Amino acid sequence: MATIEFRRIQKQFGDVTVIPDMSLKIDDGEFVSLLGPSGCGKSTTLFMLAGIYLPSGGDLLFDGARVNEVEARDRNVGIVFQSYALYPHMTVFKNIAFPLKFKKVPDAEVSRRVHDAAELVRVAELLERRPEQLSGGQQQRVALARALVKDPTLLLLDEPLSNLDASLRLVMRTEIKALQERLKVTTVLVTHDQVEATTMADRIVCMSDGKIEQIGTPDDLYRRPASRFVAAFVGSPPINLLDGYAADGRLIVNDHPLALEGEPATGEVILGIRPEHLQFMATGGLECRIDQIEPMGRETLYVADSPLGNIRVLESGAGARHAPGENLRIGFHPEHVLLFERGRETLITGARASVRQG
Amino acid sequence: MGATAEDAAIRASARSSMKGRERANMAMFLGPAFLVVGFFFVVPVFVDIAISFTDLGRELRITEITTKNYERAFVSDRQLPAVIWRTLWYVGATLLIFNTTFGLLLALATTSISRTSGTFFRAVWLLPRMSPSVVYAILWVWSVHGGDTSLVNQVLMHLAGTEEPIDLRQTSPMWVIIFANGFIGASFAMIILTSAIRSIPGHLYHAARCDGAGSLARVWHITLPQLRWPLTYIFIWQTLSLLTSFEYILLITGGGPFRATTVYAIFIFQRAFGSSGQYAYGAALAFFLIVPGVILALLLWRISNMRRLLQRPRIEVQ
Amino acid sequence: MSGTGIDAGRTEAQRHWDELAFRARRSRRAKDASLFTFLIAVSIPVIVPYFWLLTLAFSAGMEGVDTKVLWPSILILVPAVVATWVWATLARSRRHAMTGWGIIWLVTIVLYAVIVGPHLHLYNFRFLYIPEFNTAYREIVAAEDNPEFSLTSFPSVWSAFWNSLFIAGTATLIVVTISSLAGYYISRFQYRFRASSLATMLILHAFPTTVLLIPIFIVMWQIGLLDTLTGVMLVIVGIEMPFAVFIMKGFFDAVPWEIEMSALTDGATRRQAFVRVVLPQVSNGMIAVAVFVFIRGWEEFIFVLTLLSSNVRWTMSLYTFFVTEETNLGVDYGIVSAVGLFYIIPSFLLYTIAQKYLLQMTVGGLKG
Ligand SMILES: Nc1ncnc2c1ncn2[C@@H]1O[C@H](COP(=O)(O)OP(=O)(O)O)[C@@H](O)[C@H]1O
Ligand SMILES: [Mg+2]
Repeated sequence: MATIEFRRIQKQFGDVTVIPDMSLKIDDGEFVSLLGPSGCGKSTTLFMLAGIYLPSGGDLLFDGARVNEVEARDRNVGIVFQSYALYPHMTVFKNIAFPLKFKKVPDAEVSRRVHDAAELVRVAELLERRPEQLSGGQQQRVALARALVKDPTLLLLDEPLSNLDASLRLVMRTEIKALQERLKVTTVLVTHDQVEATTMADRIVCMSDGKIEQIGTPDDLYRRPASRFVAAFVGSPPINLLDGYAADGRLIVNDHPLALEGEPATGEVILGIRPEHLQFMATGGLECRIDQIEPMGRETLYVADSPLGNIRVLESGAGARHAPGENLRIGFHPEHVLLFERGRETLITGARASVRQG
Repeated sequence: MGATAEDAAIRASARSSMKGRERANMAMFLGPAFLVVGFFFVVPVFVDIAISFTDLGRELRITEITTKNYERAFVSDRQLPAVIWRTLWYVGATLLIFNTTFGLLLALATTSISRTSGTFFRAVWLLPRMSPSVVYAILWVWSVHGGDTSLVNQVLMHLAGTEEPIDLRQTSPMWVIIFANGFIGASFAMIILTSAIRSIPGHLYHAARCDGAGSLARVWHITLPQLRWPLTYIFIWQTLSLLTSFEYILLITGGGPFRATTVYAIFIFQRAFGSSGQYAYGAALAFFLIVPGVILALLLWRISNMRRLLQRPRIEVQ
Repeated sequence: MSGTGIDAGRTEAQRHWDELAFRARRSRRAKDASLFTFLIAVSIPVIVPYFWLLTLAFSAGMEGVDTKVLWPSILILVPAVVATWVWATLARSRRHAMTGWGIIWLVTIVLYAVIVGPHLHLYNFRFLYIPEFNTAYREIVAAEDNPEFSLTSFPSVWSAFWNSLFIAGTATLIVVTISSLAGYYISRFQYRFRASSLATMLILHAFPTTVLLIPIFIVMWQIGLLDTLTGVMLVIVGIEMPFAVFIMKGFFDAVPWEIEMSALTDGATRRQAFVRVVLPQVSNGMIAVAVFVFIRGWEEFIFVLTLLSSNVRWTMSLYTFFVTEETNLGVDYGIVSAVGLFYIIPSFLLYTIAQKYLLQMTVGGLKG
């Protein structure tokens, strides 16, 4: 097993800088997820870990030792690619046995280990098939077995679930998570799907444009997003973000004043409040009118026209209880309000706002 | 009653006009191509067979219908066994050395270096393919002729210190034509295999690297298995063209010296269009080449996946 | 070389990783070095003759074949190319690179002008305006009273040029038209012999045409097209047709059905849809086929040699061939080079310009 450290890692492709400067530490046995929109450099980061790409600058450390230029084959990493990358001309058995071929493992042991790995991911009965005869989920399992058969010190998963249909994704999510807990192998999961990241990983590294926006537990990212980007990226349906101006303990949003509490904030800010933290109420709060209704099964999403602008409100419970055009009042708890500085887009820790006029 | 009859009539006429349009479309779209192909492939094959049973010669007059051309080919032509043996040797050597192996090496090497460098070296190897055969042949003659000004002799005499100029067209004529044809054949394989290699998904290589495969192991375990079908295609296609084309041999050695490079195709050409003008005998000899030609072409057709090539039309109107 | 934060006392593990990194670097270098060595070594025999052709065309005189320009040129140009290459890897920025290259090539050009420049001339290109360019050594040969010397009478090179252009151009037009029609029909219509018509084209595209040389010669003679440009042109149309149909079918296969469907819905007949909507979609294919057929027509030698005889109908290939024959005694390589260069340039230009179209052609699922 291994601890991993990125020290000021950079990566350029020709003139294009994909990773400007990245520092990150991953503990032994940890399950870390790289989360970010597609094209932000997640796979690039992962490929540097695997030894497929060479970092252009900085140090990559395995257990404290610099490994920047060590060949992929010497790093003992197991990797599952987005497309699985099964060798099309080999049977499942040969695919799984392939990594052992270069380790001079005796035949009997190869067979034993392949069977063990296949057992682990439950593809033992498919060993004689070819990849094209497998379903997506089975291919995924085979790829996982191939990555695990060599007892990797580091397991890398590049969007492993994105090619599966929704129900299978749910199953594999649980299975991979359970497998990782059992094997205790340091694991890095790349995904653009926040649900995947939050349900599977111990810690999430949220990235945008090659930069780390925030590192933290799923809960941290949800409750205390370090930046506007993280707030917008994590959480579904997406958070309401409203431009405002803070001065003299007051926050003006769309000409409507709110009271500022806690840490003082001044200047241009962004107010964030999650739809699930808004409630309809009989009295108090803000006046609003329902514009649109989106039933989402167990919950209902309303788009309401309020003095602050158009905002999304999530109400739990099946069935819409309000109709478009209805006039209602909404309110929120000051604890739930997030304020971000405009420009730097970072969270103003401890600042809150409430409907009560100051 | 009248209405239904009218309906039926309309439907019938619609159907027949559909049929008519179908026929008109077929004639208009497909007709010209099949006329041309029929005139230049089918007719000549039959003409060839017909001529081979006559005594058509220099004067372009037929005086008798005979099988003596075939008797001659099978029994009395003393040169033929040597010609056939030479042909097999020439086709086999060129095919194995250049058209497959060397072409594969070029494709592998140029796709393993940076894209710009790869393109540069491929462009160099396309020069022979891009030049008209006459010019290409001139360059070969200038490079290997026996005078002390040929390129080979300049290099040998000035750099290697050889005393006397050598004449490769006299000493090893077969190798000269094998190389001359091989350069062209290698570039053919290089082009096809390069794009075949390019179309192998990059993540397979990434996976193999993480699985511990070095560069040679990657070529062996990933690239080569994916090149099976293109290599088969090249193999058959190039066998056919080596068997039947003789342009470069004609221009570089003319089949000589003393018939040392007279392979089957040029043998036919010389019989028919050389000083003797034995068209009928040439036609009989050509017939023997048509047979393997058809067989190899059919083989090529068999191994290409027919169903993949024909998608079902999604518009049914004509 | 170790990371900034790593302590001076290097651990066992670090030494192990360093050793692996060293091995990786070494094997990367060894691989690059061997690949480049291989490619350079095998490419030299290909590139030098062409370069020689180029230098001869601009430098050789009538005194015979010579290499007095070839070797100095190589000695000047090879270091320049290598320097350019090395500089590309060393340069720190784009401007830096440009400056370096500027200097390298300025020096090269000056050296070239001083050392090789005096030998260069355009006299070998006189064939472009003097048809009887060979009179000069006719006289030499006559003086030596060489009985073997053939007295070929040369037409103007422009006559050969136009003949070749006519053959290649007309054949191209006809092949592109007919193969577009047939390719479309095979790709898009259901009919009884669909599979077999595609099979016919595929098999015939592999069929060796030189085998049919004799019967084609006889047929041409029978219908009175022997020794006519039209005859040769038609033969090229015939030979290239199966391949062209097959390629065009591939391009039509790639056109989305929806385009045609919407044209039909908008009231077009299939013929109108074909002309207005589908054909523009396959313009790349038509260009590829056109270039391919044109080059084939431009370069054709065997059929031209057998089907044409009078010198007013010579094509560029025959013209070049006979110029070579004429000077076979080693009298004037300069003029052969100049003619060869004149002949080769249109092919090179077309190949280079149309490369991206040619690479789109697929043969039996393979790109070629
Ligand atoms: N081999 C490469 N060469 C050039 N650019 C690349 C290469 N790999 C990735 N990139 C670029 O780097 C950026 C990040 O890519 P990637 O890491 O694949 O993003 P993600 O996995 O987050 O979707 C993209 O803009 C992509 O175009
Ligand atoms: Mg990715």
